[in-house]
Amino acid sequence: MSGPASSSPPAVSVHGLERAFKGGIKAVDGLDLEVREGEVYGFLGPNGAGKTTTVRILVTLLKPTAGEARVAGFDVVSQADAVRRNIGVALQEAAIDPLMTGRELLRMQGALHGMKGAQARSRAEELLDRVGLTDAGGRRVGQYSGGMRRRLDLAMALVHRPKVLFLDEPTTGLDPTSRSALWREVRSLNDDGTTVFLTTQYLEEAEQLADRVGIIAGGSLVAEGTPAELKAHVGEPTLHVDLAPESDVAAARVALSAVGPLVDCQDDARVAIRAARGKATVPLAIRALDEAGIAVESVEVESPTLDDVFAAVTGSTLEGATQGASADQAEVPA
Amino acid sequence: MSTSTDSPAGRSGSRSGGTNSPAGGVAWAFWLRSLNEVTRVRGALIGTSIAPLVFLLGTSGQFGRLVGLPGFPTDSYLSWIIPLCCLQGAGFAGAAAGANLARDIEQGWFDRLLVAPVARPLLVLGPVLGAITRSMVPVTLVLIVGVLIGGEVTGGVLGIVALYVASAGFCTVAAMWAIAIAVHFRTQQAGPLMQMSVFLGVFLSTAYTPQPLLKGWLEDVARVNPVSHILELARQSTVSGIDLSLAHTWPGLVALAALVAVFGALAMIGLRRMGR
Repeated sequence: MSGPASSSPPAVSVHGLERAFKGGIKAVDGLDLEVREGEVYGFLGPNGAGKTTTVRILVTLLKPTAGEARVAGFDVVSQADAVRRNIGVALQEAAIDPLMTGRELLRMQGALHGMKGAQARSRAEELLDRVGLTDAGGRRVGQYSGGMRRRLDLAMALVHRPKVLFLDEPTTGLDPTSRSALWREVRSLNDDGTTVFLTTQYLEEAEQLADRVGIIAGGSLVAEGTPAELKAHVGEPTLHVDLAPESDVAAARVALSAVGPLVDCQDDARVAIRAARGKATVPLAIRALDEAGIAVESVEVESPTLDDVFAAVTGSTLEGATQGASADQAEVPA
Repeated sequence: MSTSTDSPAGRSGSRSGGTNSPAGGVAWAFWLRSLNEVTRVRGALIGTSIAPLVFLLGTSGQFGRLVGLPGFPTDSYLSWIIPLCCLQGAGFAGAAAGANLARDIEQGWFDRLLVAPVARPLLVLGPVLGAITRSMVPVTLVLIVGVLIGGEVTGGVLGIVALYVASAGFCTVAAMWAIAIAVHFRTQQAGPLMQMSVFLGVFLSTAYTPQPLLKGWLEDVARVNPVSHILELARQSTVSGIDLSLAHTWPGLVALAALVAVFGALAMIGLRRMGR
């Protein structure tokens, strides 16, 4: 990740944003957030939280009913054309004309952004190469796989080299390989200086890609920070030690209590302690148990996940949480 | 995926806002795409071409003897009906532009166009240009078949020009009406409303008989129906009793201009409301 340029104006700034629909339902309700230039901002929330409505406002597809939003320094309502010129958008479903070829679509996208024929053709080839679709560029998109369509969708969003890239759940429905490929490309884009506003339901995606994460629930931002900050807010990691059969559990508890505060554990053959230093606690714990003559079967450091953060701030869990990595496990021979 | 550099330094211009993309390039891109609807969809032109041809043959057979009525301006009912069938074909091609747009809205493609720095009228103009192009196929086919089976081209080259102007204009009107419906309802389920409007517009005009031979409410409706004037413009091509003249030309042109203005405005209003 390229890291934010702190002196630059925000790439996205939102203040008191509201969007009410018929019947007075507020999909976005007093949202405030800022995305710094050059960062990947993960916008996390379950279905119906207001993510997509927010994105649709930011990309000028929907007008807010109250509040203000600026993208790349331009107001999304009064300077919508300027916003459009500076953003790239890949919306939730890769809406691509199946009758056109990938190459034609990229050229057309170039024309929509004011490129002349030769320039659009050259850019199309460049982007096909970038997303690994050069060979498939002459095929109609209706014959593409889901992953190929997503990659083409991303390429189309990049045709005019946007300052801010909006990706709305870009990997929903993709297989792990396609998802990894897309993540690599997003990282690469960000390394090149593109600000990325990424909405996702997947915790792993937010953890992998985002410099900072904002959690939205009920149309408002309920937590914001780096993934590490958010997780630290919930609590410290826990070190779980599975003892070898016949081991003295009481002695193990005494030995480990010198390394960190004990944590209640349901399993009789397991001892847990707070691990403020994360994985660095593992050798200390192993040494303490070894000196006490206690055999160990396995050791696991469990860190709080963004799902824990989400549960802590909203009281509910997030769809897709199962995709998130929740533990760093190290098998230790007995 | 490869990871070629795409650095901010290489970005086109300072991107400080500025104007929309050039209209010509955008309209060209939309036009090219619209042609795919006929060049890449197998059999797409068959329906839109066969229907007016069948109508031409069927109607001329069924109502052929109407020319014997006093005051009928031609003795060839086929010549009377050719412009009507051309307009029908063009109208349905126009209505298809709305149905295609509704599909694009439903499938999310239209969002991609809306987030591009493109002048909003081009989002309407693009599908209209495509529809006009597509409409030329049934119009030409009807004219050729009509002439081959006995229709007369009494208006000469200028008459043919009038027929094509009327057809293209009617296609534009139908397309703008259909687009206005598409951006309002945003669903392909509104398709029948688009087609039905074209059918009614034509049916309640001097489609089958001249206005003096109509009776009752239909005569009144046909008199004020702008489609009657557009038909009169088109009929300068094949109906011997309707001379090629300014008097027969300008009412049709005014009717087309008025309808394009009204339905174009409706389409633009609907488009602006999409984000509200």
